[in-house]
Amino acid sequence: MKKIHIAGLVLIAVAIGFIVTMASDYSQYETFSSAQGETKKDFHIVGTLVKDKDQFYDPIKDPNYFSFYLQDNNGDQCKVVFKGTKPQDFDRSEQIVLTGKMDGAEFHASHILMKCPSKYKVDEMEVTEFKSNT
Amino acid sequence: MVDKFEGEHLLPGQLGQISVYTAFIFALVSATAYLIAAYSKQPDKVIAWKRSGRIAFLIHSIAVLSIIVNLYYIIQQHFFEYYYAWSHSSKALPMNYLLSCFWEGQEGSFLLWMFWNVVLGIVLIFTLKEAESRVLGVFAIVQGFLGSMLLGLYAFGHKIGSTPFALLRDEMQNAPIFQRADYLSFIQDGNGLNPLLQNYWMVIHPPVLFLGFAATLIPFSFAMSGLMSRKFDSWTKPVMPWALFSAAVLGTGIMMGGAWAYESLTFGGYWAWDPVENASLVPWLTLIAGLHTALVYNKTGRSLRTTYIFFILTFILILYSTFLTRSGILGDTSVHAFTDLGMSGQLLIYMTGLSIPAIVLLAVYWNRIPSVKKDEEVLSREFWIFIGSLVFLLSSLHITFNTSLPVWNKVFGTNLAVPADAVAFYNKVQIWAAVIIALLSASSLYLKFKKADVKQFYKRMAVLLGITIPATAIIAYLGEFDFVSHIILLFAALFGVVANLYYFIIVLSGKWKLSGAAVAHLGFALTLVGILFSSAKKETISFNSMGVNFGKEFDAAAQRSNMLLYKNVPVQMKQYMVTYVGDSVAEPNFYYKVNYEVFDSTTGTIKEQFTLYPNAQINPKMGLIANPDTRHYLSKDLYTHVTSVPDKTKETEQKEKEFKSNLVQRGDTIFTTTSFVILESIERVANSKKITIEEGDLAVAANLLVKKLDGQSYSAQPLFYIHGDRATLVDDELPELGLTFRLNKIIPDENKIDLQIAEVEVQPDFIVMTAIVFPYINILWLGIIVTILGFVISLVRNLQKKRSSKPVLP
Repeated sequence: MKKIHIAGLVLIAVAIGFIVTMASDYSQYETFSSAQGETKKDFHIVGTLVKDKDQFYDPIKDPNYFSFYLQDNNGDQCKVVFKGTKPQDFDRSEQIVLTGKMDGAEFHASHILMKCPSKYKVDEMEVTEFKSNT
Repeated sequence: MVDKFEGEHLLPGQLGQISVYTAFIFALVSATAYLIAAYSKQPDKVIAWKRSGRIAFLIHSIAVLSIIVNLYYIIQQHFFEYYYAWSHSSKALPMNYLLSCFWEGQEGSFLLWMFWNVVLGIVLIFTLKEAESRVLGVFAIVQGFLGSMLLGLYAFGHKIGSTPFALLRDEMQNAPIFQRADYLSFIQDGNGLNPLLQNYWMVIHPPVLFLGFAATLIPFSFAMSGLMSRKFDSWTKPVMPWALFSAAVLGTGIMMGGAWAYESLTFGGYWAWDPVENASLVPWLTLIAGLHTALVYNKTGRSLRTTYIFFILTFILILYSTFLTRSGILGDTSVHAFTDLGMSGQLLIYMTGLSIPAIVLLAVYWNRIPSVKKDEEVLSREFWIFIGSLVFLLSSLHITFNTSLPVWNKVFGTNLAVPADAVAFYNKVQIWAAVIIALLSASSLYLKFKKADVKQFYKRMAVLLGITIPATAIIAYLGEFDFVSHIILLFAALFGVVANLYYFIIVLSGKWKLSGAAVAHLGFALTLVGILFSSAKKETISFNSMGVNFGKEFDAAAQRSNMLLYKNVPVQMKQYMVTYVGDSVAEPNFYYKVNYEVFDSTTGTIKEQFTLYPNAQINPKMGLIANPDTRHYLSKDLYTHVTSVPDKTKETEQKEKEFKSNLVQRGDTIFTTTSFVILESIERVANSKKITIEEGDLAVAANLLVKKLDGQSYSAQPLFYIHGDRATLVDDELPELGLTFRLNKIIPDENKIDLQIAEVEVQPDFIVMTAIVFPYINILWLGIIVTILGFVISLVRNLQKKRSSKPVLP
């Protein structure tokens, strides 16, 4: 075996080791009930905005606090707190993808991705993304 | 159903559609003819078929140009009867953005790609000799696939391609408006261009990026040509200038994408490891690796197989990135993927239709590709270049694997996702690739091909380390770097800067012609320094301390990066005293004028003052689209953007004003909730800003002084105006205070007037914004430019060598 092959194999082995140790970093698509109880890990939750429940965003009180209720694909509803501004057009969103953690009965989102129906086309969706700058 | 519609311009669409078919058919004709020429044994047949291939390619090229001209004409003339023009443009767009409309959609960007392939193909027809039939054959196949994306045919219940010349009324047959013959008179304007794309970077970034994409086809087709002709190494020298060209252009395109993101997007940075960004970066990485292994082959006869792998892989990754960004599979993971046109099947065929034959050919001839059996010296340049290219490969595999999570989820039914902080997730691994590459790119220049000159190498390394280690210590201390990984990256990057500068100045004695590698490597090291400072030391200065305590709902460490600024109320952000002073509208943009002042701490005088205009488009379709504004310093950028504004539409819902009467005389004072109003004088006036007063008219003004409770004063002048026998009341308003004044009646006997005041609650005017400081970001841009300059120097050097040595082209 040539030296270069050995060096290559060592490098690949190290890289695989690296990636394996990082496997636990992956986030998963979950629902509120399956995310319940796990407060350390980040989850992705897909759902829709509960339009008849209260939203709270008052930039005069705190420009970095926005809360609303989301219904996940299982039909469970949960209060969501987002450390940032209320995304414009939020009320028009048809689907929301949240990334964040459970904290007690609340879901703390660090990232909101929303899909809005296009004003013009029924079959075409727009995607907009919002992040809290942490 | 109406059979004739009024006002449509169908000719350009018909010409365009004919050109689409022509381009597709002649790409196939050209491919067939070229491939017959490539495999034909009889010389006269070869010549004849080659000529046919060439003519077909030229017809194809003309057809592609014709598609482009017709489509651009449709967009430029605002023919909204065409779906493409309607959905991507509008009348208000300035000329240069009409180009952006052209390539905003999938069809237009495919066209752009085809256009560059045509340009490069024609250059190759004129420069290649024997290899023309094979290289252009591959080109024509690619053009056939790309051309099929534009067909817009329905066959066997499947849609093949999506034509840019589709009519609006065909795309939306169910809309009742298209039952009318005069429907066009109702469609006055198009849908408009996505405001995020209305940026000058979006005018130049796509053409450069697609030229880069197109250029990767050259190393691929050269490699394919080598396999097809079984003259396996005939192409490794002529490919060098093209590979360098491709690397320089693709690199520039990627950088422009980053600059666009930094300047017009609001995620607060230039790189977010977004799938779309990754998809263009990864082929660049493998291209760089291939470039290096091709060099190794030309110098030592080693690494030819690796070179094949890299150049073929680069193009496969380009195809894969096309699939990822256009098939809609990224769905909810990327903001700026194209909309799904339902062509994922066709894209998959495109990807596999080219990569499988390439892989099969390579596998079939694998054992016949020359390689050197003897072990290389450990301290030789080729050994470490090989290791470096392996690191490039691993780095790109890591990025590709994670970018492809949506694909894995679909294939394996999993539900994995990249964590919320994607940047940290990728950086954690990629930082080590960057460290190794920086160290290798710095030290390998001091090694020689084929032989090891150990003594001199160690001596020079000692000198370089002697400079770099103390420099790292000082900068890490001053810059307050506290992560080990950051300090190691800092060391590696500084080592790269020092070693390559030293190499250029001392070893090459400043000879530009030979400096390509050293300059490119220096640029890479500088880029790393810039990335390290601007991202690791990035500081949000709009840290909000005003937030109400919401108790347990937030982690104590949670950053509140958004700051509320009331109009005219200064807020301290680090050294800046920041004041929002008002907005102005230049349709469709709202500009928020924000003043920054820096005071000298001892004297209290203003040291520095400037104004930023972060703007927002209140777009009916997309809501608030914020556009950052940045103050550029040599050593840092102050980057700001608006994240929320009060909803002004509510204010315009005018409530009926309720006027209250006040009988007052000169000198009287009236109190309102926010101010007091003094009637200073009543006088007859001859002119007014509000109305024109003709001779013989009577105009009486009440001069009012209005003082806010905080002491600020305003003046107002309502008028009582008699023209002929008609009296008019001319109100005066102070919108900041929510007050309207009306001189309702003059009572001359009592020397009094009836001054009516209407008061509405004033909506507080404010903006919510974020301000971030990016230190030393200019080093990053400089680094990238230097890297590209390095490619260009090598390219020039390669072309000169080629001219002087006159090698036989493949």
